[in-house]
Amino acid sequence: MSHEDYKEMIPAHALSALDWTDDRALNEHLAQCVECRQELNEWQQTAAAVALTASPAEPSPLVRERILSQIRSERDESITPKIVPFKPSQKNIWSSFGSLGAVAAAVLFVFLLGYVFLLWRENRAIKQELQTMREANQQIQDDLKWALILQKRGSKLMELNGTTAAPGASAKLAYDQSGHAMVMMSGLPTPPAGKEYQLWFIVADKPPLRGKTFSTDSHGKGMMEDQLPDVALKSAAFAVTLEPQGGSASPTMPMYLRS
Amino acid sequence: MQPEQAQISDVELLAAIARKDETALAELYDRYRVILFGLLIRILTSREEAEDVLQEVFLQVWRRAGDFDEKRGRPFTWLVTLARSRGIDRLRSLAAKERVALAGAREPSEEVSDAVSDALASEQRALVTKALAQLPEEQQSPLILAYFDGLTQSEIAAKLGAPLGTVKTRMRAGLMKLREALSNQSASFGF
Repeated sequence: MSHEDYKEMIPAHALSALDWTDDRALNEHLAQCVECRQELNEWQQTAAAVALTASPAEPSPLVRERILSQIRSERDESITPKIVPFKPSQKNIWSSFGSLGAVAAAVLFVFLLGYVFLLWRENRAIKQELQTMREANQQIQDDLKWALILQKRGSKLMELNGTTAAPGASAKLAYDQSGHAMVMMSGLPTPPAGKEYQLWFIVADKPPLRGKTFSTDSHGKGMMEDQLPDVALKSAAFAVTLEPQGGSASPTMPMYLRS
Repeated sequence: MQPEQAQISDVELLAAIARKDETALAELYDRYRVILFGLLIRILTSREEAEDVLQEVFLQVWRRAGDFDEKRGRPFTWLVTLARSRGIDRLRSLAAKERVALAGAREPSEEVSDAVSDALASEQRALVTKALAQLPEEQQSPLILAYFDGLTQSEIAAKLGAPLGTVKTRMRAGLMKLREALSNQSASFGF
């Protein structure tokens, strides 16, 4: 690029409007060219005049106070170190030890505080991890039990559907020939205080036979094991109702799940 | 600015500030606060941001007054260049969302009292405003977008939908005409 090319860029530079590559190139030229530097000064005078077209406005008086307050504190800070060395030390060796001790104690305190915080955070993370592992372990055990029942010869799998009381609920019930049963529920509403769900075995010509009660987690999921009565082994339907804590001898309507 | 005869000049004030004379800084602030604050409000469209930057500018003056070189330009140019540079830096550092929010909270510039306007050489302001207004629109827009919005030539070309070469030519021509108009008035142009 020639000297004349750079000169043409100077007005835009005075407005800080050059793109990055042009700006960089011109700055390199300006560092070596007295004439262009002089010309830039002149263009800057013209550009600065544009500021006058902005409407004048009065800033808050607090700005002046803040500026003066800050320069005073900066000046005080710059003066203080010059004075200190001329003052004879009033401290003896023991007071120096005392000061050093206070500083050391403060540093130690901050260090310990940080260390305690790190330990607390680590402990919390470990507890969370442990809880997750417990839940995963429980899930594996339940899955294993479920698989053991299903793999037995003659085992049966039933599906329970949610009623109008719990349209989003469903369950699966598996049992082997000995009547050992497992039920997996999901989507059940959270029971109100003092209530829990109860499983029922329904056999023709007999009143419903009570099964165990169970609770669900916050997602409406639950898993339980129970023993089917002998009369229910050959042919039975299954239902789930909401009962007072501890269960009922006979079901309270409505049903929440039924096969 | 055109100092009174009995008044200490801006150059002398800057020399005193370089020697850490607090009163000199207060005097310089009183002379230029209104014009620089008006400029910063125009750039940032927010009183709060403008006051914050104004404070930064005068703290920089306090620390760098020794860098001012009378041979390179007048104190007015030095101060305005410093304030505009800080204002544009702040404008660019604000996130796009904040800029929108600021634009939404745009406050009309407060007209200052007649007494203050007089002190700001309103005659000079009228001259520059007139000279800028006389530029053709296609030369005026790139100047305004560069000066108050901090846009580069490429950004201006994109904003105006004009070729980059055209924007460069118009910007240069506009600033040249402005310089010419102001130099014709140099007898009454005091900064």
